[in-house]
Amino acid sequence: MTILSVNNLTKYYGNICALSNVSFSVPEGCVFGILGPNGSGKTTLLSIVTSILKPSSGNYSLFDTEPTDEHRRNMGTLLETPNFYHYLSAVKNLAIAAAIKGNGENNIDGAIETVGLSHRKNSAFSTYSLGMKQRLAIGAALLANPDVLIFDEPTNGLDPEGIADIRSLIKELAKKGKTIIMASHLLDEVEKVCTHVAILKQGKLIASGNVDEIFITDDIVMVNAENLSQLKNAATGLPGCQDAKETNEGLQLYFQSGTVQLAAINSYFFDKGVTLSQLQLKRSSLENKFFQLTGK
Amino acid sequence: MKKLLSIEWLKLKDYNPFKVLSVFFVFGIVLVNIIVYQVNKKIIEESLPNGKMFSFHPYDFTNTWQTTSYATGFLLFLPAMLLIILITNEYAYKTSRQNIIDGWSRKEFISVKLALALIFAFVTTVIVFLTALSFGFISGTGFSTHKISHVFYFFLKALSYNVLAVFISVWVRKTGFAIGLYFIYMGAENIISQMLDLWSIKLKSDNVGDFGHLGDYLPMNASDGLLAFPDNPVKSMSKMIMPADNTQLVLILAIVYLLLFVYLSMRKFVKSDL
Repeated sequence: MTILSVNNLTKYYGNICALSNVSFSVPEGCVFGILGPNGSGKTTLLSIVTSILKPSSGNYSLFDTEPTDEHRRNMGTLLETPNFYHYLSAVKNLAIAAAIKGNGENNIDGAIETVGLSHRKNSAFSTYSLGMKQRLAIGAALLANPDVLIFDEPTNGLDPEGIADIRSLIKELAKKGKTIIMASHLLDEVEKVCTHVAILKQGKLIASGNVDEIFITDDIVMVNAENLSQLKNAATGLPGCQDAKETNEGLQLYFQSGTVQLAAINSYFFDKGVTLSQLQLKRSSLENKFFQLTGK
Repeated sequence: MKKLLSIEWLKLKDYNPFKVLSVFFVFGIVLVNIIVYQVNKKIIEESLPNGKMFSFHPYDFTNTWQTTSYATGFLLFLPAMLLIILITNEYAYKTSRQNIIDGWSRKEFISVKLALALIFAFVTTVIVFLTALSFGFISGTGFSTHKISHVFYFFLKALSYNVLAVFISVWVRKTGFAIGLYFIYMGAENIISQMLDLWSIKLKSDNVGDFGHLGDYLPMNASDGLLAFPDNPVKSMSKMIMPADNTQLVLILAIVYLLLFVYLSMRKFVKSDL
């Protein structure tokens, strides 16, 4: 089943085109990341599929059918900012959310417990810190135990511990078979938790699909020696090396992902009479790939 | 709707401004009527040399319905202000979005706000009814339902005030701006209405025609115009130069304006981005 399918969605704010002909679909049970820099249209897109904004053109479907109010009751959504009644406590705010959803009244304490706010559950929302507000919003999304979760920048405003908590929570939810749609401008967040990704830039869809397919990355080996030109000459014949780039810190050697054997590289250069002063495998250049895709 | 209202009650019952304004309002009604009661006694019975001869008592039965309804009308900005605060708060907290995200339809959201406007108007009317009843009995006259139609006019006026509050809140969204605009509109319409009223007196005296109080044909003054202070001796004397009271026409207009504001509020909320 396709959880969400958007077809040629376009949204104008006056003259500004926030979203231009975006189409993709979200299969059941995946963690779908919507990645893009600030102002790329991520929140606009999610606002349309949660019925907050009206698209200028195009349409979307939920669970393979026309979207209904009932669909939204079965989705847990955190959109952009935590939206709660400032004068009410966490418990009372969640009671309202549960009443609207018609589900989850029995899970209010549980949801608050999950996001670690039990000690403050009776304080007014206005007394919460930014991170606590964000936690409560995630708790509210979990309230009715929905099959689909939409998180817009879920780790916004959280401390490092909170970020780790939320990431493991998302992974846990994915393991239970929930479908998670998550917008983020943080590349490594998407890389760490998502199975699928759609990349937006200035309202246009640049790429979408499986994370492994979109981010086919190279392994980079950083090497350095006393005599850089000798090192460069020697590197030209290195087996498996696809490219070599000179940088301030030395020479970057590009290999296809997973083919690097550092010992072999070391002995290769040794045989060529070059003694390496540095030999280091760098993690994938996902960031480079992202900049390459978004044209930066 | 019962379910929607019960959720609305969850939002309301712990909101302090709601409690404070409600208390102000109830005490305000009693206070305003006591003031009018006292002032009238002074003007009619003491200022006019032969005032006692007219024996006019605004809070006697038959008059009490009209007087209480008219006097309390000046306080109707209080529930309207509360409604503006409640609705614009939803925009400020972005809970208008969250309610929709959580599964309400836009129509449900705006309907329950309009229902709130109706309930506020109804409760206000009940209070006015009880106040009028009490003042009537205090005046020591026998119970009568004559002129009780003014309590219905009061309901209509309260509802108009409240629905205008919903309308402005939905279009303006910002609390301060909405409250400001509400009062500016009320003030402006009143000034225009009085100018129109003067004009209608002139039209009548110039024998052009009696078109009624033209000022009463404006949106808020329509429901206002239905309520007037009972005809005291001073007012009766000026009757001859005044245009006719086209009560039926004004009543119909008041209802038409009311429905128009309801429709436009709904349409705005259902159609626009949140």
